[in-house]
Formats: sequence, structure tokens, C-alpha cells
Amino acid sequence: MENILLQTKNLLKLKDSSSKTLEKTNNHRKKLKKLVKSIWVFNWFNSCGFTEVLPVVGSRWDMERFGLIPVSSPRQADCLIIAGYQTIKSIKVAKLIYEQMPAPKVVVSLGSCPVSGGMYWDSYNTIKKLSDYLPVDLNIPGCPPRPEAIFDGIHRLIQKVNS
Amino acid sequence: MEGLISKIKSKFGAEILKKEKNQIWMKINNKDLINICNFLKENGFDFFSCLSAIDILENNIIELVYHLWSQEKKTILNIKTEISREKPEINSISKIYTASQIHEREIHELFGVNFLGNSDLSELFLEDWSGPAPFLKDFDWREYVREKFYNKENENEKGYYN
Repeated sequence: MENILLQTKNLLKLKDSSSKTLEKTNNHRKKLKKLVKSIWVFNWFNSCGFTEVLPVVGSRWDMERFGLIPVSSPRQADCLIIAGYQTIKSIKVAKLIYEQMPAPKVVVSLGSCPVSGGMYWDSYNTIKKLSDYLPVDLNIPGCPPRPEAIFDGIHRLIQKVNS
Repeated sequence: MEGLISKIKSKFGAEILKKEKNQIWMKINNKDLINICNFLKENGFDFFSCLSAIDILENNIIELVYHLWSQEKKTILNIKTEISREKPEINSISKIYTASQIHEREIHELFGVNFLGNSDLSELFLEDWSGPAPFLKDFDWREYVREKFYNKENENEKGYYN
């Protein structure tokens, strides 16, 4: 009985809520709308990238609540995540994967290596800038990037797709 | 084990450098390599463990170390041999120890050593490689990278030329 009373009280509170809370709920609804479309991700991880991003896939940070699902084939993927440095040998495979993906597609690079070469700036067998080889839509810097940074990046990506 | 060592010594003129409980280091002439490997394989050393190379710039040589393991004797045998840097050539032992094929291929790629008789010495990691063998000590990798990847006129990449 007491519980029901509390609930009704809360409902009444919601009813005569100020405009601020209304805005909040509206924003929340908008966000939810954004998340309706799920992004299927194909991961192409060459080096330390995957071990650092693994918590994002796992239950601690859980990327599936943002609709991100890792897929096993590039033909199903909307988004290609490239983490870590690419060698001259592996960038060919990355290009092949990119070509296999269906048309509205996005490339996200993780870490500082695909931006400038990172700590491998003077290595003779790694490529220095990923954007020279593939059209990168989003760079998430960091060595390694934090899971929060990755989610921030994904949020920006969703905003970009919506606009 | 002692008998085998003295046999190698008398038969091939090998020099024993160091002896420990389960490890023996010896130095041989590079022309005897095939014969010694044949002899050792018949006498228990039937496992090829690893092949390493050392570039010694001061003496103008590349030193190759063959690591052989014997399960019955529980001993690892490190056979050192030298080849000249000008003409880095040695007979392949891939017909005796099949596992050495991929090791020789890697050493060929990284040190430029030519293994005569190896079936496949194509590129392993370095595809489309145009420079010299990268693990040689006189290879200036930084200069190579500047030439291949960076542009001096680019404002953002000027720092790499200091």
C-alpha cells in the first residue's frame, strides 16, 4: 500500500514538473532515436589495438548498449574500426576489407599510430598516416584510447550520420 | 656425449667454445656445415630449434648460429659459423632439417644471407621491399624512412629532420 502511495506521489511530481525536466526527457528521447539504428562494426586490429579495446566489447563498458555489434564479415558491416599501426603488408588487406563493405560506410581509426605513426614514426615497415590510404572519417587519439573516448567518438559519429 | 664431442672435434676440426650442463657452444668452418648436420642428425640431434644471425661490422662478417636439440641426450648444441659480409652465401640445411626452411627465409629477408639450395626465399614480412636488408648494422633506417614516408617541405613533418 505504501509503495503504491509513493508511486502515485512520484507520478504527480512528474506531472507538474518544470520545463527543465521536460527538456531532459525530450533529449533522452532524441538520444534513444539515434540509438535505434545499430552500427555493425568490422574490426581490423593489427597490433596492441584489440587488447586495449577489449573492455569495450566486454560487459564492463558493453558496446552493445549503443547498438554496436561486431560482425564477422565485412559485407555486413557499416563501420570499419582500424586500431594500431598498419604495416605495408596489412594495409593491402585493410583496403580489400574496405572495398568489400556495402556503400554507406565509415572508417574509424583508433590510437595515435594511424594518425602520425605514433611511437613507430621511424619504423621502416609501418605506414605513417592512415588517411593517405583510406578515407578516415574519425580519428580517436590516445595510446591507447580510453573506452570513454571511444564512446564519445561513436556518439560524434552518430551525430554526423544523423545530420 | 663426451665421445660424440671428441668425434666432431677430430672428424671436422670443430672448436669447442663453452660447455655447460645442458648446453654446448662450438665453432665450425662454414664449408663443413652440411657434413656436420648430417652426422649430428644420425647421432641423436634430430630437432632443429632455431637459426640466428649476428651482423659483426668490425670483423666484416655475419655470424650464423644453428641451435640443435637432442631429446635423448637432453642437450642443446649451438653451432656457430661465419660468412663474409661481401658475399653472404652458405649452403642450406633445409634438406636435412625441414623446419629450417622458414628460418632461412627470414634470415634471408632480414640479413640478406643467400641460402643455396633453399626452395623458397621469397618475401615473408616485407612485401614490396626495395631497400637493403634492414637488420644489417650499416642500414640507416631513419634516412630510409625520411625518404620514403616524409616530406621536408611539409610544415608538420619538419621535426623529423632534426
